[in-house]
Amino acid sequence: MTSIERMQRILARKPVDRIGLFEHFWGDTLSEWTAQGHIEAGTSLEDHFGFDIQNAWPFNMVARLDYEPEVVEETEETILTRDGNGALLRQHKQHDSTPEHVDFLVQDRAGWEEHIKPFLTPDPRRIARETYRDTRRLAAEKQRLFCWAGVNVFEMMHPVCGHEYMLMGMAMDPDWVKDMVATYAQLTLDLMDMLFEEEGLPDAIWFYEDMGFKGRPFVSLDMYREIIQPAHKATIEYAHARGLPVIMHSCGYVAPLVPGMIEAGVDCLQVIEVKAGMDLLELYRDYGDRLSFMGGMDVRTLYGNNRDTVRRELEAKIPVVKGNFGYTLHSDHSIPNQVSYETYRYFVDLGLSLGSYT
Amino acid sequence: MSEILEQIATCCERGKMNAGSPYPPDMRGQDGVDELVRKALDDGVDPNDILTQGLMVGMSNVGRKFSNNEVFVPDLLMAAKAMTAGMDHLKPAFDSGAATHKGVFVVGTVRGDLHDIGKNLVRMMMEGGGYEVVDLGVDVSPEQFVEAVKEHPGCVVGLSALLTTTMVNMEETVKQVKAIDEKAKVLVGGAPLTQEFADKIGADAYSPDPQGALDYLATAEA
Repeated sequence: MTSIERMQRILARKPVDRIGLFEHFWGDTLSEWTAQGHIEAGTSLEDHFGFDIQNAWPFNMVARLDYEPEVVEETEETILTRDGNGALLRQHKQHDSTPEHVDFLVQDRAGWEEHIKPFLTPDPRRIARETYRDTRRLAAEKQRLFCWAGVNVFEMMHPVCGHEYMLMGMAMDPDWVKDMVATYAQLTLDLMDMLFEEEGLPDAIWFYEDMGFKGRPFVSLDMYREIIQPAHKATIEYAHARGLPVIMHSCGYVAPLVPGMIEAGVDCLQVIEVKAGMDLLELYRDYGDRLSFMGGMDVRTLYGNNRDTVRRELEAKIPVVKGNFGYTLHSDHSIPNQVSYETYRYFVDLGLSLGSYT
Repeated sequence: MSEILEQIATCCERGKMNAGSPYPPDMRGQDGVDELVRKALDDGVDPNDILTQGLMVGMSNVGRKFSNNEVFVPDLLMAAKAMTAGMDHLKPAFDSGAATHKGVFVVGTVRGDLHDIGKNLVRMMMEGGGYEVVDLGVDVSPEQFVEAVKEHPGCVVGLSALLTTTMVNMEETVKQVKAIDEKAKVLVGGAPLTQEFADKIGADAYSPDPQGALDYLATAEA
């Protein structure tokens, strides 16, 4: 069974030979493992570990495409820049990290209408065609599931106005946020039309939407249904109309939103962050008949590089969640460089062994 | 509690900032915290009562509902905004000593970590709990926390981290803070944290949500 055959069946919860395999890594993990001689320089993680999925991120959704990020302040450790969304971002220079959003030009509807909305046009320069084309060709050669990957509306809005203004806007001026949601959803669909018409369809769509944090989602299920779900429905219906299954990523605790995500048409939920409170076994019990899963293995069990701890985590979950043929092995977030190569290798080997159906 | 203090508490809990605010929709056109606190002061209500029996009650109610997943971040943000509208009127009373804070809460995200959503929610709830908050921001070194503790003797310290790679920096901060003031209470929180980790690094308390920090302090002070 090829990776693409396997993953297409896993996303539809149909019998396969083994569970799927994919992973995300911190940027410095690959360089460290390569420097240690575990991975040959120039070899991809997909090739080295035999991942079943290959992603390409071809869209640039920043508002002002021509805006050169302006350095406002630079210290030994951080750099402060104004980006094309009008956001002031502080980034660490020494290590990988999500940037701090310091300030925003957009704090309400007027700011959105002045600084962002007019620029959100389906400009061909937003599409990295070569990236998409090359990755698509590579995935086909390797017979991996090729995913168009990108953010959906929740993850497009907060880089423009920040979580606090966005979430207050949902309460104070929901029509403003609905306008942002509709604008970004339409732009996504317009760009997908342009790309897929010229370069061909992917095998699946992978949306990244971080809608939760520790112990709770950012919004209630009601607010999700009213404000965000229309965009999820529109973009997922677009994919389904072309025969493409949809994987949706969310960090944080989003269990209360899962019924709404299923209504929107999500085929597979990824990443199921244990430290935020997500429980893979509970989700499988409640939604395993309607949803495939990827992730949910507590990455903290790999930090100590103790095989017994890793084994207990895998043995507690894989025999259960493989039951619906809809599971893909993945940590509950990503693998940092404190995890040794040997530990991750063990995680993969044992996970796939436990996840075999033959 | 007087009727106006009850109204202030309700408006604060519901996030009703002022009469012009469209939120919450079912309170459109009604006075909000802004007008009610102004009116209470004009009527001679003690600013301390406005704080403790009005604003703090409202924030405590919304904080508890947030802990129980009955309300979500937008509700908490709106409540905090409403509380700020009230606190603006109380500022002269704090400046003159007619009203007093419960204490000083020094908060920051630890060194190497640039995330601030969790820290900001805690800041809002501590302000709503009657504390004067000194927000050191993000990527705060142990030395910066120590300086703040020296500047605000008797303060409570809150450390936040989102990343497993940065939460380890909490230990050094706790150590340095305790070295200059062993009685200083240090509270920790953030996505990767656990009670076990908090115990290991010598923190006084861990809470998975902002209300838990306030509850701990209420118990500790009792």
